[in-house]
Amino acid sequence: MKKIYSLDHKKYLRKQLFNTVLIHFLRILLLVLLLGLWEYVAWSGLVDPFITSSPSRIFNTLVTLFSGGSIWSDIGITLYETMLAFVISTILGGFIAICLYMCLPLKRILEPYLVILNSLPKVALGPLIIIWFGVGTKAIVAMGILICIVITTISMLNGFCAVEEEKIMLLKSMGANKLQILFKLVLPASLPNFIAVLKINVGMAWVGVIMGEYLSSGAGLGYLLVYNGQVFNLDMVMTTIVILCVLAGIMYGLIAILEYCVNKKRNK
Amino acid sequence: MDKLLELDGISLTYHSKKSETLALNDLNISINSGEFVAIVGPSGCGKTTILSIICGLIKPTTGNVIVAGEKVTKPSPKVGYMFQRDNLFEWLTISKNTLLGLEIIKKKNPKTKAYVKELLEKYGLKEFSTHYPTELSGGMRQRVALIRTLASSPEILLLDEPFSALDYQTRLVVQDDISSIIKSEKKTAILVTHDISEAIAMSDRIMVLSSRPGKVKKIINLDFDKSLSPFERRKLPKFNEYFDLVWRELS
Ligand SMILES: Nc1ncnc2c1ncn2[C@@H]1O[C@H](COP(=O)(O)OP(=O)(O)O)[C@@H](O)[C@H]1O
Ligand SMILES: [Mg+2]
Repeated sequence: MKKIYSLDHKKYLRKQLFNTVLIHFLRILLLVLLLGLWEYVAWSGLVDPFITSSPSRIFNTLVTLFSGGSIWSDIGITLYETMLAFVISTILGGFIAICLYMCLPLKRILEPYLVILNSLPKVALGPLIIIWFGVGTKAIVAMGILICIVITTISMLNGFCAVEEEKIMLLKSMGANKLQILFKLVLPASLPNFIAVLKINVGMAWVGVIMGEYLSSGAGLGYLLVYNGQVFNLDMVMTTIVILCVLAGIMYGLIAILEYCVNKKRNK
Repeated sequence: MDKLLELDGISLTYHSKKSETLALNDLNISINSGEFVAIVGPSGCGKTTILSIICGLIKPTTGNVIVAGEKVTKPSPKVGYMFQRDNLFEWLTISKNTLLGLEIIKKKNPKTKAYVKELLEKYGLKEFSTHYPTELSGGMRQRVALIRTLASSPEILLLDEPFSALDYQTRLVVQDDISSIIKSEKKTAILVTHDISEAIAMSDRIMVLSSRPGKVKKIINLDFDKSLSPFERRKLPKFNEYFDLVWRELS
């Protein structure tokens, strides 16, 4: 069905389109300007590129890295650890949240512990984790899970508890039991909240894994960062950060796509 | 006519940390099969509490509720409860929303599904059955909510201020709709409201409650021609007389 719009409306649409294009243009312009400025100050000697690196050096490093090939294994390791931490903490956190929701007395008992765990800086547990899990992948994933899981549990639980009381009454008046209320109402109603939690978790999982790699590892992007920082190879440090930005962006993008699909299915 | 519902010496006290509230005290109500009864009373007098007790959602402190000869101890498909808001699930299509109750009581089968489909068709919602609630107007959503309640074939419908969330124009239309649906499905209904004109327009009998603790203060039998719609009732001189009568009882 093709709609016929008035002239005014066409004008309006054109203006909207123009605005969108303009915003994208300005975004790119900003990036180009910043990179240009950075390149200029490094090239002209205003700052020492040994300390600040520069876009062209980063580009060259990227080319060498990817033609060398060992970077792929570092990316692979970090990505694997991040995904593992992300998936495990989401599933486990969701499971704990469901248990607490189904047994509210338990929730009341555990509430203060959750609050303390949530405000505790998890890095503080680093030494313990290394002792318990040893140096390596296990400890790093554990760090990632530790950072994600508490906030996952709390956010999901809050989402469950925010479900409208009257809808619960409706199901009860139909004779529904607790499990039916959970599956017919609470879980589907919490789907948007669940996706919001996923979005937060992606970021958190990266933080946890990179932190874990700082503490204990011989490979991965976090390891590259610490190692090259120690030997003052700032080109490598910057390049690794660029790779991290891209990876985190891609993962966030994937979840945004998931969110879009879910919303589309729900409200057509 | 046979008695379908009986409230016998119902009282209910709410307990909270700060206080206890005697919401109902020795309430006796009896309703026949096929009747449309309106309960009016000042807000906070315990109207919602009465419906929750009839439905079995809360247990009375003393007294018994008997529906069709059986004592009510927990919610059962014999009683259908319709709330102030439609409470449709946004993530389900209209048709799935209306089947919710049947799913809960595990009575979803070709026969009951056909019945619900027929209801949707009869009351002008057939073409919307694959739509989502956000695509429907407030009046249509309330009609869907009623069909959801009717789906499990309850003997009594409890309506808790079901029109108060609608704007005035829509409210008048939906009152006609709901009233005709309830009449043609031959259901017994209890309508709780604080809107006097709504009670007179829709019911056969009005019970006026006192303020808390709610007791039946006065029962007014309405004498209208059976075929009149709520909207037509509003145009009769009798309507205003009843209005004055209820008004005086309430104030
Ligand atoms: N869960 C509850 N806990 C304590 N008091 C309540 C509760 N529910 C209702 N009440 C009190 O009981 C009285 C009757 O409530 P309700 O039945 O909702 O009145 P109505 O529907 O007539 O406005 C009110 O005064 C209300 O404050
Ligand atoms: Mg009420």
